[in-house]
Amino acid sequence: MSAVITPAASVAAPPSRPLYRRIAWHWRHDPKRELWLAWWMLVVFYSLFWLMFFVITRVQPPPQPAADLAAQVHYFRVRHLGIPVGFAVIFCIGGMIATNNALIAYSMRRMSVSPAFAYSYLIMYSLSAIPGLLLLCIALIVGTLRPERDPEAISWLYDFAFLSFDGTMGVFLIGSLIWMLAILLDKNRVFPKWFGYLNLCNGLTEVVVAPCWIFRRGVLAWNGQIAWWLDMVVFGVYTGAFIYLLRSMILREDFGTGPLPELKPGRPDPKAAA
Amino acid sequence: MTSDLAETTKRVRSVPGQPDMWAFVLFETLVFTAYFGFYLFYRARSPELFLHAQAQLDLRIGVLNTLVLVLSSWSVARCVQSARAGAYGPALRDASLTALFAVVFLCVKVSEWVRLSSEGNGFDSNDFFTYYYFLTGIHFVHLLIGFVVLGVVVYQLRSPARRDQQLVETCATYWHTVDFLWVLIFALLYVVR
Repeated sequence: MSAVITPAASVAAPPSRPLYRRIAWHWRHDPKRELWLAWWMLVVFYSLFWLMFFVITRVQPPPQPAADLAAQVHYFRVRHLGIPVGFAVIFCIGGMIATNNALIAYSMRRMSVSPAFAYSYLIMYSLSAIPGLLLLCIALIVGTLRPERDPEAISWLYDFAFLSFDGTMGVFLIGSLIWMLAILLDKNRVFPKWFGYLNLCNGLTEVVVAPCWIFRRGVLAWNGQIAWWLDMVVFGVYTGAFIYLLRSMILREDFGTGPLPELKPGRPDPKAAA
Repeated sequence: MTSDLAETTKRVRSVPGQPDMWAFVLFETLVFTAYFGFYLFYRARSPELFLHAQAQLDLRIGVLNTLVLVLSSWSVARCVQSARAGAYGPALRDASLTALFAVVFLCVKVSEWVRLSSEGNGFDSNDFFTYYYFLTGIHFVHLLIGFVVLGVVVYQLRSPARRDQQLVETCATYWHTVDFLWVLIFALLYVVR
């Protein structure tokens, strides 16, 4: 991955309609097609992520940490269909995380900062998929598909799943801080500085979830108003902001090494329309 | 005359430092407003427990820490003023003074935590102390970040090749935000009974 890419030679303008011909033209001629592919995978991944976790498996919002053994066993029983189906989809799309991280790392390679930022971020967020996604899915799917196991073992899986998901935010904290530093030091104006500061806000919410290891009730438990609900609002704003800003970065991309040009309102992307 | 007026209006409308930092201030204020809202909600549910637990706090310590942070705000404001006037020596001295006030604040805060926990008032003792440690703890983290921010100010002021006034003002804005949040935390935890 390099920030300096020689664009393909310009060809005729894309057809205005029908839509499939327009898409086919972009697929063949658009010099930014890899970037757009990565961005659309990001959108598809997060859309499916929310759908699977909140609707199909119904494992988010998280359940009561202080639930008794019977309630924990019941939790798995009522999700005996949703969890395998939903997490099967998550296992299929999990690889999209790599392209998401690659696009974010690309944004850092386009900045005027050291490549160490992009590579550090890639390593941190590749690791984060383990506690932030896979451990939860594996623990919950084991609990669901092995209902005959000792309830104590089921209870262990219940705790392990949600504590690994909510309580291991260190990698996300460091990842956010790396991105923040890169944005604040960058001179190519790839992202606005406010998004750098928003990374700090997001990083601070990763600190706030740490007490969920101590509390089984209240605002700081893994399902608490502060540790989960408020943090989820911040994470939602943060995710929406970076998806929008990555799109904006691709539109502005000129495949050079200097400052990214600003888009003039109402004007189409000069590279795509070339 | 017209151009003077336009220039004055422009100066009045601009904010100190990067406008982006003010987005951070707004966002953090909203997040802390939510924290305070949850605190007040739980306080309204158990007023006696909160009153009894609040009585364990030493108001004098809270007042001392507030004074120390207000003084740090004053010194960082002086730092900005000196930097604007091109007096970089006094600006550096004021930045160091701000860091000194912050160290005093942190020492007093840690000693208060040690005293309270040795008296049996730990993080998970009751709802009030959960909020007390949480709010003062997250503020503590903001203050630790403030040391990095002050480091940026010192780095900027030390070399004539740098001295970016906007960056100095941006850092000062962060510092004032940390102070402003403490004043609210102090009022809620120590004063409102």
